[in-house]
Amino acid sequence: MADHYQLLVIGAGPGGYVAALKGAQLGAKVAVVEKHHLGGTCLNYGCIPSKALLSSAEMLHSVKQADKWGVKVGGDVGFDWSAITGHKDKTIRQLRGGIASLLKGRGVTQLAGTAKFDAPGRVVVTAAEGGQQVVSAEKVIIATGSAPMRIPGWPDDPALVCTSDEAVHWQTLPKKLLIVGGGVIGCEFACMMRSFGVEVTIVEMMAGILPTLDADLGSELLKTFKQRGIVCHLDTNVEEMRLKGEAVAVRLSSGETLEFDRVLVATGRKPNSGGLGLEKAGISLDRRGFVEVNERLETKTAGHFTIGDANGRSMLAHAASAQGVAAAESALGHGKAFTAAIPSAVYTYPEVASVGMTEAEARDAGLPIAIGRFPIGHLGKAMAARHQEGFVKILRHRETGELLGAHMIGHNATECIAAATALVEHKVSLPEIAETVWAHPTIGEAMKEAAEDSLGVGLHLPPRKVMRLAAAMA
Amino acid sequence: MSVVCLPSSIPAVSSATVVRWLKSPGDEVVSGDALVELETESGLLVVEAAESGKVLGYRVKPGQTLLAGAELAEMAEVANVRQSAGMTKQPEKSVAEPKQTTGNTAGDGAKATPILMPQAGNTMEEGTVISWRVKEGDTIAVGQILCEIETDKATMDFESPDAGRLARIVAKVGEPVAVKQPIAVLAASDADADAFLAGGIGGVGQTIEAKPQAVSAPVKGNNQVSSQRVASPAVLGNGGRVKASPAARKVAAERGIELASVGVGSGPGGRILSSDLAGLTATAAGNGAAAAGEIRRPLSKMRRAIGLNLQQSKQTVPHFYVRTSIDADPLMAFYREQKVATGCTLNDIIVLAVGRAMMEFPAVRSQIVGNELVEYPHANIGIAVGIDDGLVVPVVTNVDTLSLGSLAAETKRIVEQARKGRLENIGKGHFTISNLGMFGVEEFSAIINPPESGILAVSAAREAVIVENGAMRAGRSMTMTLSADHRLVDGVMAAKFMQRLKDLLEHPLGEKGKLA
Repeated sequence: MADHYQLLVIGAGPGGYVAALKGAQLGAKVAVVEKHHLGGTCLNYGCIPSKALLSSAEMLHSVKQADKWGVKVGGDVGFDWSAITGHKDKTIRQLRGGIASLLKGRGVTQLAGTAKFDAPGRVVVTAAEGGQQVVSAEKVIIATGSAPMRIPGWPDDPALVCTSDEAVHWQTLPKKLLIVGGGVIGCEFACMMRSFGVEVTIVEMMAGILPTLDADLGSELLKTFKQRGIVCHLDTNVEEMRLKGEAVAVRLSSGETLEFDRVLVATGRKPNSGGLGLEKAGISLDRRGFVEVNERLETKTAGHFTIGDANGRSMLAHAASAQGVAAAESALGHGKAFTAAIPSAVYTYPEVASVGMTEAEARDAGLPIAIGRFPIGHLGKAMAARHQEGFVKILRHRETGELLGAHMIGHNATECIAAATALVEHKVSLPEIAETVWAHPTIGEAMKEAAEDSLGVGLHLPPRKVMRLAAAMA
Repeated sequence: MSVVCLPSSIPAVSSATVVRWLKSPGDEVVSGDALVELETESGLLVVEAAESGKVLGYRVKPGQTLLAGAELAEMAEVANVRQSAGMTKQPEKSVAEPKQTTGNTAGDGAKATPILMPQAGNTMEEGTVISWRVKEGDTIAVGQILCEIETDKATMDFESPDAGRLARIVAKVGEPVAVKQPIAVLAASDADADAFLAGGIGGVGQTIEAKPQAVSAPVKGNNQVSSQRVASPAVLGNGGRVKASPAARKVAAERGIELASVGVGSGPGGRILSSDLAGLTATAAGNGAAAAGEIRRPLSKMRRAIGLNLQQSKQTVPHFYVRTSIDADPLMAFYREQKVATGCTLNDIIVLAVGRAMMEFPAVRSQIVGNELVEYPHANIGIAVGIDDGLVVPVVTNVDTLSLGSLAAETKRIVEQARKGRLENIGKGHFTISNLGMFGVEEFSAIINPPESGILAVSAAREAVIVENGAMRAGRSMTMTLSADHRLVDGVMAAKFMQRLKDLLEHPLGEKGKLA
């Protein structure tokens, strides 16, 4: 006799555990299956460990420039890698414990093991030790996440050619690191490793780093990276990679050959959709292996939802959590289409954050846009606190005044984007943003200034030049 | 004639949105004069005249987004236009100046005169043309009926305030137009009218949805307009966007309500707030398919206004009710007599009595305005009049100064006007009387018409047993229920008011209050 639940969630990452909590909050009998650790990639291999390491890296970066702040730091400035990783591990343990007690507090049954569909609404859970149990549920939310891609044909020694899964738990630091892929993960590791004194080279096949974000953000970050001695090969592919003794030798599409003592492959992630027996539940995948869902995140099989990385709509923890809430609400009869604006945050220093359309997306869509900009260096707070890097760029629909997108690089950008996300989500128009009073002195003021700039009413920039052209006559 | 175009390639610019015209049709320009201001993704762009000439008319309107090479305006060469650029440049006008309705005649030269949506009453924010009685090209005389306009209160014939040739009809039948926005344009030539409409009449033009063919020359296929603003004018903000709070947008999206159909909101600058959407359901044109036998039609403006007004009243005004019955025999006797003498109705006598009583109870002719109590010197009384699809309340002012005869004449006149759709003294009432006696109603309670202090619900004079001094007799009784705003009128005062009214009506010729 199978245990029966109203809602079964497969995967306890930031999507799954939140979906389970929401289901329980809505009064359902809920179980969540996790084959590994609570918290998924975000907590165990992603956001949280990388932020723990980055906090030490940024502190070190600041201390090394303490003079600039007029602060005298005596003695050798260095770091204790084991203390840094110890803090990271402790943080992970604390947060895992937090999720466990949240689940317990709401009466969610936790099933340790690997889930596999037997039929729609019916799942076999196999524990690591081999025991099996059959669970049935009226509604199922698949939240199995994704895993870093490895490149076929490249050396598979995970001590030398790593993905972020290994990199966040490195026991030792490389001396000379190749990062393949200049996306969010590649840039965060480049920034972090450089502060720990590692020689870092990025190879990116696109024309700029952070290629999924507004192009101006990547080019600004690239300048900073170059100043810090991070070598970036853009428009470049790794043609060949092989082991050469203790080193890894690579040949680039430019013809250059280079050697490194470690490689981080950060070229993207693939969904964990295999081995789940989805075909037995009638659930289909797209060409890239993502589970196909409709706007309510429901799969082809009624009552079966897929959230987070596994559906490929947005590979971000907060998107997974938001989708988890939406899917649990849909499953239990309170749902609606999931359309929320999803911000992106990159924890380099300076930080990068973004929400809404990029300039290129808006142009491709043929929208009449007006662009407002404001350099963060012009702000009193930025000067006083010596965080003058970066800018805010915002896109306005010229005919409706709607805020289409906000893009920011600079100190605390990942915190400032929350305000912009609320504005984009609720379709607040630029004149209303410009009318809103922002606290002074803050870095966030740049958002208001950029809004004013887009409207041509900014006061803290020189007057905008007006282009004058003679009419054509026909 | 030549056509002025955007340059076919503009550095770093893929499209441009018209902000405003800097020249008006009829203006002579020399090469180098600024013609039009546009906004691009890279900032403002001013297009200058490449040749000297005279601006004939525009082919695009503010708010339109154009691609490079788009046609902007028509120009005629002028033989003796001032010679060289720069030497005798006219000062640039920053904004195309508003054209006022100054004369009674339009159509001389490049002049165009807009006919504006009238404001009938302080609360009127928009109106809808139900039918046009004239057509484009007609010559119009002052006072000629142009169209029938529906407001939230009434339907009325609209007489032309000006004379001239009706060049363009702007307001489409069925589409709401904000008050003081053009509904038509008088002009000698169509080109003048179009130019006027295209030109942004002091910002007004931005919200005009002109007819698609409202361009004098045939529009060529390559007039590269990429998108065009379509929206109801009443609630557009500067950016051409319905002004609404984020919360209101969310609620509207969830319930499928078209914000543009909501009208003017109660927030700052007419911004629609979520509270304005209370009780509204999906816009009629929306997704809800009618089930078998159901008939769905959009709420008329009047029904919507009645609904919102009364809902707000019932939710925000603390109503309380005081009911009394009067011995109606003396009143009926008085009525029979006065009907012959003055042509009055029974209701007129009640209105007169209420007017007298109001003068003795200042609170009943008071209103709350902000944090102040405003007491009015006279008794203005609204009379609820049922009409086909709703209810209107014309107001008789200064009832306290009128004799029964003059009150009867005045009431008759305003009620007739109301039935024709002309409401008088809208918003001036202090108190309302709703009389359902003619339908034999025994008693009822009415909802106050804010910001008034109260409403009197008058029922039928019915045959009843009257008990007087311990003896029963057959007579007539009439029940009246006062609904009072407790913020203005306290219980004791309401009771005294009703006592006084009863006294006046039971002794219409008595010493205390002679109604004749």
